[in-house]
Amino acid sequence: MSRMEIYSPEGLRLDGRRWNELRRFESKINTHPNSSDGSSYVEQGNTKVICMVQGPMEPSSRSQADSTKATIEVNLSVASFSTFERKKRSKSEKRMVELKATLERTFEQSVMCHLYPRTLIQVDVTVLAQDGGLLASVTNAITLALIDAGIAMYDYVSCISVGLYDQTPLLDLNGLEEKDISTLTIGVIGKTEKLALLMLEDKIPLDNLESILGIAIAATHRLRDLMDDEVRKHGNVRASKLAKN
Amino acid sequence: MILSPAERSYLYDSLSQKPPIRPGARSDHQFRPLEAKTSFLPNSNGSARIRLNDGSECMISVKSKVVVTKSVTNLIDVDIDVAGFRDDSNFVSNLKYNLTSLLITNFPSQYLKLTSKYSFKLFIDCIVISHSSYPLSLISLATYLALKTTRLPLLVSEVNDEEIEEQPTFSDDWDNAKYLDEAFEPPIFITLGVIGTNLLFDPSIEEEQVLENGLIVSFYKDNVITPISNINLATNSNNSNFKGLNQKLIIESINLCNKYCPAIIKALNTLTEQDDEGDDDHIF
Amino acid sequence: MDVTEVINITKPSRSRGYEDEDDDSDIEMLGNNHNDGEFTNNNSSIVTPGELITEDPIWMKGHGTYFIEDKTYSSVAGNVSRVNRLLSVIPIRGRYQPETGDHIVGRITEVGNKRWKVDIGAKQDAVLMLGSVNLPGGILRRKSETDELQMRNFLKEGDLLNAEVQTIFNNGIASLHTRSLKYGKLRNGMFLKVPSSLIIKSKNHAFDLPGNISCVLGVNGYIWLYKTNLNNQNNNTTNINIHNNGASPAITRLEEESSWEIYSDKNDSNITNAIRSNITRYYNIIKALSFCELGITEPRIIMGYESSLSYMNVGSLIDKDSMETICQEIINNEKMRG
Repeated sequence: MSRMEIYSPEGLRLDGRRWNELRRFESKINTHPNSSDGSSYVEQGNTKVICMVQGPMEPSSRSQADSTKATIEVNLSVASFSTFERKKRSKSEKRMVELKATLERTFEQSVMCHLYPRTLIQVDVTVLAQDGGLLASVTNAITLALIDAGIAMYDYVSCISVGLYDQTPLLDLNGLEEKDISTLTIGVIGKTEKLALLMLEDKIPLDNLESILGIAIAATHRLRDLMDDEVRKHGNVRASKLAKN
Repeated sequence: MILSPAERSYLYDSLSQKPPIRPGARSDHQFRPLEAKTSFLPNSNGSARIRLNDGSECMISVKSKVVVTKSVTNLIDVDIDVAGFRDDSNFVSNLKYNLTSLLITNFPSQYLKLTSKYSFKLFIDCIVISHSSYPLSLISLATYLALKTTRLPLLVSEVNDEEIEEQPTFSDDWDNAKYLDEAFEPPIFITLGVIGTNLLFDPSIEEEQVLENGLIVSFYKDNVITPISNINLATNSNNSNFKGLNQKLIIESINLCNKYCPAIIKALNTLTEQDDEGDDDHIF
Repeated sequence: MDVTEVINITKPSRSRGYEDEDDDSDIEMLGNNHNDGEFTNNNSSIVTPGELITEDPIWMKGHGTYFIEDKTYSSVAGNVSRVNRLLSVIPIRGRYQPETGDHIVGRITEVGNKRWKVDIGAKQDAVLMLGSVNLPGGILRRKSETDELQMRNFLKEGDLLNAEVQTIFNNGIASLHTRSLKYGKLRNGMFLKVPSSLIIKSKNHAFDLPGNISCVLGVNGYIWLYKTNLNNQNNNTTNINIHNNGASPAITRLEEESSWEIYSDKNDSNITNAIRSNITRYYNIIKALSFCELGITEPRIIMGYESSLSYMNVGSLIDKDSMETICQEIINNEKMRG
């Protein structure tokens, strides 16, 4: 892939988007009501993620019981068929362990863990298809599933990836773009500019960081609205059902 | 899952009646209702998802790869991933072994043959997102749906390449892709619970706790085939009722499956036909 | 043969009550200033995490809220409740939240030192202290060391019981008691679970149903269906007697009742098939109510039972369509009765 194609002189990307366009974002909550306390499904472009949350619940081992706060356990499993070329991935792969740790840290801060001492919140994520922005989609899916489970959080954590092509920031990279240029993934708490998560693959010149962060934060705010929209739609349907009782 | 002694004995007594009184009042040959969806993974040649009312759920992807026929031992590769279980656990290995051998023994490999040298190899990946009762039957029904809706690209190069050194080439129009075979009905597994002289199709997790034995019956081309194996379906708990198996019941299980499994195949086929018409590619 | 007699396979229905306009397009960032006001104003009957509820510092903050500089925000997605000065948000979904006085059904998960741990579907297991149960020999008896050693003979892992929430400790753990003859070990029936949000609290969570069946409808969504015990009524009177006039002959009766039998694991020998079938019928009715997300109450269970009688094959009640039909009939019935 020659670098020219990533961003054409006319300002178009490989999939025809402009630099500041996000891919199609679709989310659903409460997709697995009978097998989990909270669940969600997120599609960002061709990346597809299922998330199920169990808890807060009695931990099965005492080592997971913290008398001051809830323990959050994230289990990330990436299906072998999630990429075009089938590939079996082990949970002990370095990258997977790193992602797991990043996600656990992020949500330990955003969930009001102190309200649920001595409990375990178990988050199971299954990645069905990946085409860039894996960490971002997983984070968004976890946020929605936690909300569905009725677990108290300060605000949504909405997450997006952004890359830098020459001097131009490109929002929400797809798989091909991600392979070619450095990628920054950020998770933002609500409509603030507070970062709950920041992960940089490769490197980005410090001078460019501010403009990249600016556009990325704006994008997460947009995603927060889209997720909020889904939560409200679902919530209002449910509330009206319960009101009938 | 642990039941209290009172629950166990109540359930045992109910299931041993003639006819059995099952929780949910299912008849002995009645499956739990399923919700299923096919062809929702655009990157796979075939896919299916099955869910039970209790939340048990399984997803299958079928992917293909062109291989030199001689270079591989099997044209089918099965992998199973069960949430909460290690890949090398006995539980997962058993499921995987059962499904692999069923498919390898009974899959008509001519469907996969491309040229005299090349074949398709199918990779069947299964994810059990959650389950309560023993999931083998659920997995095999989902595999049925996935294989039934699997489409492979159309070969446009010469079939006879014995003389010429040529790699197979395919039509790049997905609309030309072909199903394995219209008439092909993949083999399936049915789980049966044994209690007294009763045989119960598709036992639920509560029922599994009090069964005297469990049977896994294979069914293919309108008939029960080998292997028929027995198993303690109550995994991870101590089932004190478990005991030896009366031979007569094996014969009876074959008769029952021959009688009722065609209906299961029919229901699965109906679903694939419906899914074929719809153009709704939402998973949920 | 009818296929549906063997298996019923349906496509997942997207009956979510709403359908989104299917737009396939990418999302424009510029020129689409999604203003914050749009969402907070539009028909919002619910609030979502991070949403400002009030800037008025007069409110006390309850569950589901947090505050920063006098501003109160929601921390969950749910409905705002204002009781006196207490502002809280009740999440739409979530685990059972025990409250003192709740009649619940639970399952023993662990036998510990002078206490049992009980799964009640809450965030944490509840505790049942050895001192909070009736022991053989009457409630007035002192608990001895022998009792501590034989706790497994009373209740062991897996045993089901119904109990009342006595108190909630500071750390949120519920403490249970079974010091009344209407509580204790469960026998002669079947257990099922529904989401606790569907159980509507009422005066009475244990009742008799037509067809010689009784039900303990635990506030926590754990339900026990069992054969009506004809001695039950007597038990209840015994109970009242103790409270009313402590020195009546009822005490002797209580000692009889609270013999080892209350911890027996044996079911009655006379459970007929008719009773077993009725239990499965109720089982399916409750599952149907839960499937359609209708609140589960005694009158609804009875109505469901009555309309289910037109189904000869009770087993067909597990199909999606039948469950929806039954629930529709219940709703229509309620409308007619006003």
